[in-house]
Amino acid sequence: MAIVRLERLTKIYERAQTPAVKDVSVEIGHGEFMVLLGPSGCGKTTTLRMIAGLESISDGTLSIDGQIVNGVPAKDRDIAMVFQSYALYPHMTVWDNLAFGLKRRSIPRDEIERRVRNVAATLGLSEFLKRKPHALSGGQRQRVALGRAIVRNPKVFLFDEPLSNLDAALRVSTRGEIAALHRRLGATMIYVTHDQVEAMTLGTRICIMSNGRVAQVGTPLDVYHNPASTFVAGFLGNPPMNLFPAVVTDDAGGRTLAIGSLKLTIPPERMAPLPPGTSVTFGIRPEHVSAHGQGRPTEIPFSCEVVQVERLGAETLVISEIADSGARLVARSGGDVALDLGDRVTLYADLSAAHVFDAAGNALRQQTETR
Amino acid sequence: MPVLTRTLVLLALSLYTAFAAGPFVWAAMLSLRTTTEIHLNHFAFPNPAHWEKFPDAWYNSNYATYFMNSIEVVIAAVVVLTIVGAMAAHCLARYRFRLNRVIYFILFSTIIFPPQITIIALFQILVNYGLYNSKLGLTLVYVALQLPLTIYILESFFARLPADLFDAARMDGYSDWEIFWKVSLPIALPAVATTVILNFILLWNEFLFAVVLITDEANRTLPLGIQRFIGDTQEDIGMIATGLMIAIVPVIIVYAFFSEKLIQGMTAGAVK
Amino acid sequence: MPAFRAKELKGDVRQPWGTIVAFLLPALTFYVALTAYPAIRTLWNSFHRVLPRREEFVGIANYSELIKDEIFWKAVSNTVTWACISPVIEVTVALLLALALYAKVPGARFFRVAWFTPVLMSYIVVGILWMWIYNYDWGPLNTLLRAIGLGALAQPWLGSPDTALGALILVTSWMWVGFNMVVLLAALHSLPKDVIEAAELDNCGWSAKLVFVIIPLIRATLLNLVVLSFIGKMKIFDLVWITTKGNPLWSTETVSTYVYKRAFEWTTFDLGYPSTIATVWFVIVLATVLLLTWLFRTREKLEY
Repeated sequence: MAIVRLERLTKIYERAQTPAVKDVSVEIGHGEFMVLLGPSGCGKTTTLRMIAGLESISDGTLSIDGQIVNGVPAKDRDIAMVFQSYALYPHMTVWDNLAFGLKRRSIPRDEIERRVRNVAATLGLSEFLKRKPHALSGGQRQRVALGRAIVRNPKVFLFDEPLSNLDAALRVSTRGEIAALHRRLGATMIYVTHDQVEAMTLGTRICIMSNGRVAQVGTPLDVYHNPASTFVAGFLGNPPMNLFPAVVTDDAGGRTLAIGSLKLTIPPERMAPLPPGTSVTFGIRPEHVSAHGQGRPTEIPFSCEVVQVERLGAETLVISEIADSGARLVARSGGDVALDLGDRVTLYADLSAAHVFDAAGNALRQQTETR
Repeated sequence: MPVLTRTLVLLALSLYTAFAAGPFVWAAMLSLRTTTEIHLNHFAFPNPAHWEKFPDAWYNSNYATYFMNSIEVVIAAVVVLTIVGAMAAHCLARYRFRLNRVIYFILFSTIIFPPQITIIALFQILVNYGLYNSKLGLTLVYVALQLPLTIYILESFFARLPADLFDAARMDGYSDWEIFWKVSLPIALPAVATTVILNFILLWNEFLFAVVLITDEANRTLPLGIQRFIGDTQEDIGMIATGLMIAIVPVIIVYAFFSEKLIQGMTAGAVK
Repeated sequence: MPAFRAKELKGDVRQPWGTIVAFLLPALTFYVALTAYPAIRTLWNSFHRVLPRREEFVGIANYSELIKDEIFWKAVSNTVTWACISPVIEVTVALLLALALYAKVPGARFFRVAWFTPVLMSYIVVGILWMWIYNYDWGPLNTLLRAIGLGALAQPWLGSPDTALGALILVTSWMWVGFNMVVLLAALHSLPKDVIEAAELDNCGWSAKLVFVIIPLIRATLLNLVVLSFIGKMKIFDLVWITTKGNPLWSTETVSTYVYKRAFEWTTFDLGYPSTIATVWFVIVLATVLLLTWLFRTREKLEY
């Protein structure tokens, strides 16, 4: 049974031309870690704040545990939130910050004390209980913010880009702590971020948003391997998927695409037949393009000229221009590659990993979409 | 800078300091001498220093009354002013609603009103409501007088508090009123302290409204009392000087402890 | 599950009208009752003769009388003169002092605190002190003049119609220079170091640096202080009341003292006429402030 259910959730601000959030429908199950991922301005934070009760809902319904909570004030939704800026009360000690939310809920004093001590011990904050936020490091403040949410024992945890104020190293370790926290508590968590790595590593499922709408929902690997649109395909994955406009030729089978003078025949499981002349977009991920042929029947050679080589140590990115079309193709290989600027090379794309999108950018392959 | 210029500059600055502080030093000296001594030589050093003039002035002229009246009126006004002003400033800074900037502008613009535009009618109003010549009436007028400045200072401070803090408090279950008392005000304590000190000094020295609205000897505030003193005892320079010193004492005390805060508070709005 | 239109909370979650009103009500009540209403009532008064027990509507009779009132115009002339001269003196001297402290003269902290002290004193205290200073027989000023052989210049400073206003202007300058200096010092300290250093690299002499770099950068603060000083002098009352009360011969009469006298000291007991003066003055002050701010705002904020 889904614990949080968004049904066609919409948010229009006063005097705004377009809605900030439109028709968002997602179900989050018990114990799930759902990541709302997208570029800035896509509506993910607004959606989170509607779930929290910090923004009113213009249309659609929000239910928690089967009950519609649209008009229910934030404090009555049994939800805790970790803010991007931590939002710690600067004039209170760590102890008071942790206990503040509990005092309001008529929880007996010894219970409050027990919970605060427990959480402080779990997060390694026991020695800082008497300090005020300005005397703590960024990482410690983050943990207090986490602790404040944990101590409330809520039904759902909400995270609003909690790692974006931390430096890179701290971000990685805190990410691990959040993942460990999820495992330990088994709680339902909804997490907003614009960082794909966080989304891929933390989420049991991710929901990609763009322009206020849901672009795709699914497990991280599912969304990665089966993007529902060119947007999702280009958003997930670093470097992004290679995308080329193409036209369906009049070859038999209706699965041959022409990119400039090149012709590719897409395997049947990757594409249904289409009438000749249809405009489509062809996509292939850099890791499925290599300088060495594997000898597979689904491989297609591209004659290219190397324009840039980026040696990252563990892998190498080779960026080339396809002969007589000038389009850029990015190939990614492990280790080092003996190629240089200006080399003529044949790159092999494995069409068993090809993606085809229609003129509107939607994937043509049938998706098994989980909601 | 070259030594010659530096010495000249220092000389000029010292002269100016003498000019700025001189009158007070002279008044202090005069306050410790009897009027007879003064008439002999206006500029001699107090010898002996007549400290007994202070209790004398306090008890034998109505100084104690004037002083206590000022204390009552000013402290009451500052307390009410701070709470009412903080509430309004908090509301204007944190809540978005259509009339917000209009109200802020209206309140803020009254700072340039010349007091004459309100004083005559205030006189009429207080008389009508039986508040004329009363400390209560003066206190209420003082609150209204300093509200615009207080709201101006506090509003800019409250506006800088991060919104997340209030969201977190709201999620923690606190009502708007509790958020004001338990989150906004405590964090804004430095700004509140500044307005308290500022208002205290401005109202302690206030004269025009007091002279119009109070005529009863028993209710006179300190500035009025001193003016009365001059009228009654024109030639008793020694006594007047002592009285002046007593009047300055609270201000000096506040200044001694809070000089930095005071200077910053009074000048903050002027730096652009 | 059928979707239905969510119950829209009144406005956004952030607009709980009840709370907003509760927070604003006390302040607005004070404002309306003791500031807005009195102002309107004064305006209303200006069209009446307001006597202790009755009021009679007189239309614009007060206003036409005002135009012919010589004392009023003398008071206006005094006040405006004061308001124009004071800012010039106060800001210029303050700038010099601030520059001296900015140039890292030793004892800067002490000077700053010492010079600010006059600002805190009540005008009453200041007035009395300066009445003594200006005393013809034994005041420090005349004593000093006589001591250095300039005895011929000794005057009854506050007693002579030619010198009284000037003497008072000196007093307010004495008070406010400290305030302006502190503000300017803060402004100087907040200037971006790189611009000043760039000027040094451009081989600017000290005075050139001052005129072409520093002053333009603090122009906004300078103008702000000028406006503040101007407004303050247009309102002045306390100092005049305790020292000269407008004497001798109206040479120090200000609009505020005249209003007070007509309202509370003249035996006509009419509050209508002084209300007229107050109304006209209010309009004049407002107009000049708007004019000044408009004049000074048309300059763009300097981008560095």
